[in-house]
This record gives sequence, structure tokens and C-alpha cells, in this order.
Amino acid sequence: MTRTREEIELELAFAVNGTLPDADMAEIEDWLLADDQLRAEHAALAAIRSDMQTEEVNSPGEFGLARLMRDVKRDAVSENTPVAAPPVQKNRSWMWQLAAAVAMVALLGQNLFIGGSDDAGFEMASAEVAADMVASFVPDATEEQIRTLLLDLEVEIIAGPSALGFYDLSVLDGADQSAAMTGLMAATEVIESVENVQN
Amino acid sequence: MSEHHHILIQQISKGDKQALAALYRAFERPVYKFIVSRLNDPHEAADILHEVFIDIWRVAGSFEGRSQVKTWIFGIAYRKVIDVHRKRARVTVTDEVPETDEVQEAADTSYAIKQEAEHLRYCVGTLSDEHRTAVSLAFYEDMTCAEISEIAGVPEGTIKSRLHHAKKLLMRCLSGRIEGRAVA
Repeated sequence: MTRTREEIELELAFAVNGTLPDADMAEIEDWLLADDQLRAEHAALAAIRSDMQTEEVNSPGEFGLARLMRDVKRDAVSENTPVAAPPVQKNRSWMWQLAAAVAMVALLGQNLFIGGSDDAGFEMASAEVAADMVASFVPDATEEQIRTLLLDLEVEIIAGPSALGFYDLSVLDGADQSAAMTGLMAATEVIESVENVQN
Repeated sequence: MSEHHHILIQQISKGDKQALAALYRAFERPVYKFIVSRLNDPHEAADILHEVFIDIWRVAGSFEGRSQVKTWIFGIAYRKVIDVHRKRARVTVTDEVPETDEVQEAADTSYAIKQEAEHLRYCVGTLSDEHRTAVSLAFYEDMTCAEISEIAGVPEGTIKSRLHHAKKLLMRCLSGRIEGRAVA
């Protein structure tokens, strides 16, 4: 017995599945004769293997093969057709702004207006209301930063984003539009651009 | 047989669908068994099996013949299931094995397995994917340590260690289920 008990224990699984070289197997058999615990573990592993080997599995079989052949054929056809132009790289800013708009509409709906008892100032983002300002957000600005800024300045998003990523903004009733505009222009970490569009 | 599989791969790389069908028939069942043992979801396992053979169809030309076809195919399946687990963000079971009376556990386990095959399926299902992979390949497929090591991309010592831990966890689980049944 040239190997330690720990080394033998680590090889028991391969003694059970019969993949060890003859010399290694002979040494393990010597250990099994001399060590009750190793013998019990070997028996347990052999029982586990035996059970796993006899386990019935309903594989996809010929149905799976038919599916494979169908898709391989389809694959071959698509290889013979002109390669489609690579998809246009989507503007990340636009995608981000779209996601922000969805979150913003939901959050502003909850935080700005629903809490009040009257509906004054509530406008859906798609409502036909003239905008006071048009703005775009810095792509890295977080939703929390945007929400905080708009709440502070008493501004709401009433539409957007446009194809270019612009949002229509409106000040709440009674709020100071000039101060809101100044505040938006100053918030350069959140606002990418802002324009006064009030007639 | 291994040489035959190499020839099939060469034929597949040239677009031979019949060779793909022959390879599928040779490996479909063991690869599916391996996948389903790690996913516990027959439908998802069937989809992964399909993806494995689609990959073989597409990348057969890149097979260099340095490994066996069998380990190459199981390697593809192994990595695809890892991708599934990543997507699921599955929590792996701890490797820690509490100290117990191992001789008694082993004795209980032998009895349990003979009597209750469903206990084994349950207990294998509680293993982490790494442990389950090692057990599946060692006991479903009777692979050598070197083959399992190649499929999982880790040293042979790691495979031995994983099997050792898996064995302890299985014995503990099986022993516990038998005791629970006895108490009930």
C-alpha cells in the first residue's frame, strides 16, 4: 500500500466505475479488505452508480432528430441567402431615455400626483398639453437624480421621448417657470439640453 | 468506435446531414441524461440537447481531433448548462459537509439506495451543479477522471475532490431521508 487512505478515498468513485488502471485497482482492493469504512463507502457508491445506470430517461429520440434535421435544413437555406446587413447600432442614449421615460411616468404618477387629494396638475405623458420646455437627459443620470430634480423644480414630463430623445416638460400650476428653467440649465449632471418653448 | 465518431465529425463538417443523424443517434441519450440530471427540467433539457447538436453542425469543422468526440460533445453540453444556470442565477449548494458518523451513514445509504431509488434522485437534485456534473459523468457515463477533467476544464484533483464531497453530501442526504422515514 503505497498511497495514503485519503488518496484511496478520493479514487473510490473511479474504482466503482471501473476506469482505474489494474495496479491502482489492486491497491484499492487491498485497502477495502483492511478498512471497514472504505468498504462501506465503496458499497454505497456502487449502489448509487447501479441505481443511476438503471434509471430510465425519456429522451427526445426520433422527435428530437426530426427537429434537428428541420433546423439544420433551415440553417442551410439561410446560409444560401444574402447575408442581412448588420443591425443598426441603437443609440444607447435613446434606449436609456425610453426606459427612463417609462420609469418616470410611473414614478411621477405615484410620487407627484397620486399622493394629493385633488388632480390639479396631473397630466398623462401623452396628453395634448403644450410644453413649457423641451429637454434631454444626460445618459448617465440616474432615475433618482432626474426624479429629485423634477420634484424640486416642480416640473413634470408630459410627453416623450421623441425619436431624438427629447422630452416635453411642463411646470406645475402655480410654479415659477423661470426658476424651473434656470434650475434645469444649472443641473448639468442631469440635463443634457433644455430649451424654453413656451409661446 | 472512437475512430468512427471522428469520421462522422469530418463528414458533418462537410455538410453531411446523415452523419449528423448518426452522431445524434449515438450520443442523444447519454447527453440528454447528463443535461437533464443537471437541470431537472426535461423540456429545457431537450432544448439544450437540440442546441448542442446545432452547435456540432455549425462548428464541426473546428474540431481538431485532439480530444475524443465524446468528451468534446459533453464539453459543449456542460458549458450550455452552465449558461442556463447563469441565466437563472441559481444558488449553488454549499460544499461544507457536517461531521457525522460516516460508517453508519454508508451502511444506511446502501440500504436506502437499494430500497428507494427516488431518494437518490432527490438527493442528486440537491447537489450543486459542479458536484452533480462530476457524479453524472462518473456514474452515468463511467468516464475516467481525465475525461471529466477535460469536460469541466478543471484539474483532475479538483474532480476527485468534487466527487469526494458529492459522495459525502449524497450519503448524508440519503441517510437523513431514511432516518426521517423511520421516525415517521
